[in-house]
Amino acid sequence: MSYKNFFDPWIILPTILFALFVVPVIWIISSLFGEYSENWIHIYNYTLSNYIINTIFIVVGTSIGTLIIGVGSAWLVTTYTFFGKRFLEWALLLPFAVPPYILAYTFTGLFDSYGTANNLIRDIFSLPHEFIFFPKLRNVYGAAIVFSFTLYPYVYLVSRMAFINQSRSILEVGRTLGFNKFQIFYKLGIPSVRPAIIAGLMLVLMETISDFGAVEHFSVNTFTTGIFSAWFGLYDFHTAKQLAALLLMVVITFLILEKYSRRKNRYSSGSNVFSPIVAEKLTGSRNFFASLFCFTPVFIGFILPNIQLTYWALNYKLEFFNEKFISTAWNTFYLAIIAAIICGVLAIIINFSIRYKKNKILNVLSSFLTVGYAVPGLILALGVSQLLVFMDNLLFREYLDFVLTGSLIGLILAFVIKSFALANTTIESGFLRINSRVDDVARSLDTSGWKLLTQIHLPLLTTSFLTSMILVVSEVIKELPASLILRPFNFDTLAVSTYIYAAEERMFDAAAPSIAIVAVGLLPIIILSRLIRNSRPGTRIK
Amino acid sequence: MKKNILELKDLYHSYNKDLDVLKSLNLNIVENEIVSILGRSGCGKTTLLRIICGLEAPTKGTVYIDEKPVHTHLEFVPTEKRNVGLVVQERALFPHLSVIKNVTFGLKGSSKDNYEEAMNLLRLFKVDHYSNNYPHEISSGEQQRVALARAMAPNPHIILMDEPFGALDRDLKVDLREEAKKIFKKKNMTAIVVSHDFEDALAMADRVAIIENGSIVQIGEPNKVLSNPVNDSIRKLLR
Repeated sequence: MSYKNFFDPWIILPTILFALFVVPVIWIISSLFGEYSENWIHIYNYTLSNYIINTIFIVVGTSIGTLIIGVGSAWLVTTYTFFGKRFLEWALLLPFAVPPYILAYTFTGLFDSYGTANNLIRDIFSLPHEFIFFPKLRNVYGAAIVFSFTLYPYVYLVSRMAFINQSRSILEVGRTLGFNKFQIFYKLGIPSVRPAIIAGLMLVLMETISDFGAVEHFSVNTFTTGIFSAWFGLYDFHTAKQLAALLLMVVITFLILEKYSRRKNRYSSGSNVFSPIVAEKLTGSRNFFASLFCFTPVFIGFILPNIQLTYWALNYKLEFFNEKFISTAWNTFYLAIIAAIICGVLAIIINFSIRYKKNKILNVLSSFLTVGYAVPGLILALGVSQLLVFMDNLLFREYLDFVLTGSLIGLILAFVIKSFALANTTIESGFLRINSRVDDVARSLDTSGWKLLTQIHLPLLTTSFLTSMILVVSEVIKELPASLILRPFNFDTLAVSTYIYAAEERMFDAAAPSIAIVAVGLLPIIILSRLIRNSRPGTRIK
Repeated sequence: MKKNILELKDLYHSYNKDLDVLKSLNLNIVENEIVSILGRSGCGKTTLLRIICGLEAPTKGTVYIDEKPVHTHLEFVPTEKRNVGLVVQERALFPHLSVIKNVTFGLKGSSKDNYEEAMNLLRLFKVDHYSNNYPHEISSGEQQRVALARAMAPNPHIILMDEPFGALDRDLKVDLREEAKKIFKKKNMTAIVVSHDFEDALAMADRVAIIENGSIVQIGEPNKVLSNPVNDSIRKLLR
């Protein structure tokens, strides 16, 4: 439309939100152009190389691990039928519910010198106390293993979607060319879905380098632990920001690669004639090994940590629902619900503005807003802290000292920036399902703006809104670094509580909040597995 | 003399600089008249309807509805203030509202009067027994009847129909277009029917306007247009 009003609330509101989302990130990046303190020079000379080497090692190890587990299992469950396949095709998503830091805590409980697994081996085989069967995991190898088994579902999910949408005829051509099963997999299967795999891998890498809880527990020095030490060890906020800016550059690179891969990601044969892959039935040893290959990541990434957590919880005199746990859970849930409602409402307003105003600038702003999910929680905490200090100085300093800093507002803002993309994706697809002619007809019936939104769109978006709430709640509950830094004094969330207990090696106490986090994390998995199953005409069994 | 309900003067519209979808288009429609706009796919029929409706603004030209300007170079009246009814091929019924609530949606005033008014229209279109059903519970032909009733309910200056019978099978559409025409005439409605199907266009209309390359190349009573097409292209279109 040529008639645009730039003072229109449907345009102004998304623009203000954009500014609020972007300012913390710009503040971080701008620190690179400021002065460099003595602490920075010390870090640069003595520890930065260590951060970089460790981070690269973990990134490479995790990439290899997630690719083998994620792509391999996605290929097996899509193209073959074997024992337990119907269970495994959705169970392979279960480790999504376990944040890396919780797997790290349970791994140390299991595999430390006197952990459950080593004790069990010694008891079974009557071995001496000094005998250690499982090697130490508190190192970069352990970190790479933990990330591989908790983050592979990203690769599994996108690979599986791509394989499901791949046409059978491509694989059949391979057979006529004399390829065996493995050759079909790596010569035809993988290349045709490579952009999807790269997109999944980029998400894994963003999560890996953003992690704080797992590497900190394993005492591995990476960028995130470096930022934390600079801030809370050296009390040098500026140097922490400069380290964060460097990390952010890497994250932005991964993000660009992920977006680029997604754009190239043309599922299926590119033809309208689609014939679903017919799953081939495996027998004998192939049947066994396929089941074993797919069951192992589910066991290590989900079942094993939950056994350990349950063991701890039961040994904690069954005081699962003590007063401390209930108050922590309540804090977490109401914060998560507030963040989820804000994210959902903002996503609805922004998507409605785009649809209603058909404004290209709003479209661009919206895609920028969704980038928040890639910003590590620790960096977000830095940016939000600075924003709140600035606002306090501007608005309240003369009368009330600090009002916003150290309040729940910072925490909620960080959660909203971090989780907005999850809500936006769900709400956006909800809007896409509403035929645009419905809007045309409604407008011809004197229904526009707010009335169009509340009387026509909102009732049709109820399911999308609830789904977005579930996704945001489960994300917020897992978020550790932002919660740790931005929480008000003496205010614990489940993630913070888990972290503090684990840091004090009070693993029995860490069990209850950990189980609660995993249980809530299961909700989006149920939604995801339904979405995958309905994504294309189903596969048939030969 | 009959009142002008729609007047389009020298309309131009383009989506990019090189290609005009509409070129110097002029059209007058008087009260109680049904005019069909006929043309091949992509000739600009739907764009014309969207411009009349206010869903798009023309690059140049003026639009008058009920003798009042709704689009000039100085003024633009948005869709919701033009008092036009819109019926589209996809029906676009509000899926969360029952049939009766769909029809009363655009009505102002007391709910009892609105209910009576809507029920009368549903009776005219023979779907009154579905008044409490939801759109997905009735057939596509019945949905289109509800869409017509909904568009008529606020008593608009003009009803704009974009391929209204396009998604219906042949027997159903023959019945519905005849019934719709009778009801429009009975209620003294003014309407535009946009279609690429000459049977639909001719059966409904008092006059037929044929669009080619963004301009009206022939306009007249259906029989006259059918018997005297002005060029070969129109002859083929009416075959």
